[in-house]
Amino acid sequence: MLRHSFKAMGTDIELLLDAEPGERAERAFASAAAEFERLEQIMSRFRPDSELSRLNRDGRITGASHDLVRVVELALAARETTGGRFDPTVHDAVVAAGYDRTFEEIPSDSVSPSAAAARCGGAVRVEGLTVELEPGTRLDLGGIGKGYAADRAAELLALAGPCLVNAGGDLTVRGGSWPVGVADGLTLELTRGAIATSGRDRRRWTRAGEEMHHLIDPTTGRPAGGDLLRVTVVADSAAEAEVAAKAAFLGAEVDMPRVLVTADGRTILAGGLA
Amino acid sequence: MTDTSHRVYAVVLALAVFFVSWAAIAAKPWATAKPDPRLAAIAQREQRLRTDAKLVQQIVDRRLATYRIALKQRQAVIALRQRQADLARAAQASARAVAVSQTSVAPAVRVVNLPPLTVTRTS
Repeated sequence: MLRHSFKAMGTDIELLLDAEPGERAERAFASAAAEFERLEQIMSRFRPDSELSRLNRDGRITGASHDLVRVVELALAARETTGGRFDPTVHDAVVAAGYDRTFEEIPSDSVSPSAAAARCGGAVRVEGLTVELEPGTRLDLGGIGKGYAADRAAELLALAGPCLVNAGGDLTVRGGSWPVGVADGLTLELTRGAIATSGRDRRRWTRAGEEMHHLIDPTTGRPAGGDLLRVTVVADSAAEAEVAAKAAFLGAEVDMPRVLVTADGRTILAGGLA
Repeated sequence: MTDTSHRVYAVVLALAVFFVSWAAIAAKPWATAKPDPRLAAIAQREQRLRTDAKLVQQIVDRRLATYRIALKQRQAVIALRQRQADLARAAQASARAVAVSQTSVAPAVRVVNLPPLTVTRTS
């Protein structure tokens, strides 16, 4: 089993490859890592020259990359299918909550309060390679972009053998069988598809004593509350699992294998898991 | 005796001079050589053929150049059509793959008692 780790998209990326060491494996690792870098350069909201930053700044982008258009289309379709629980237009709400720079740069405890809740749900139009935002609307493709990147990187890594790509919790497999730790003492063996986890147990900080986290409820424009600590969902692709996990955390009915961990520490298996 | 010998020599010499002169006159060295009209006709015909050959070569060259240009254009059109067909086939295959992945390929997962190779956590 070969393992390769690096940092990208503000998280730890882990590549596992069931192959013999050699040039082929090294090439596959390198191309998978390059794919993460390429997609981060397109979809990062923290890089001022990324396509997403240009779109958010100008409200419109023409000649966008196929990847940006694809992810925006996936995100808009997810907004429809989840009844708005997953929404890529939460950018301003996330920033208002304090997540206005890379997570490593956010002060964990600040006395200054967070900004007022921002409106979500603005219109987004996609036509060909042109994406246009309603004035005042900006996109955050962080979660779904990471899942999409994991899926794309897995396609490249799979050329060298059965593999697993784990992008900070959004993971996908190609071939083989992979035991994945989900919660304390709970391991799922995944032979096809992907797993993603969303929750408020990580990526959190406080503002004037109020606990904040990165999962925004689009209906309120504020970090989501509720009894759940985190949700893990199994789906066909990492992008789909990411969307489903976020929607399930926000209370959507999700007909997929899933593991819910409540704030009081209970672990609930659902969707056919036993 | 001496006179007789002189006469014989004189006669022989005269005969020799006569035959030599006759031969010289018979050869008509003063007459200029006239060109053979058949040779002239052949030369003219050869010249005409050479001129015609040059014209034909020019026509052939022009037609070959035109043909080559048309061939290149045709090959470009064929290559474009082939690329379009390849792209269409790839798009169809991709659409089929997506359809299959969306309809029939469900993720396979089960709970196991194995040490995990990796973990999923809040991303």
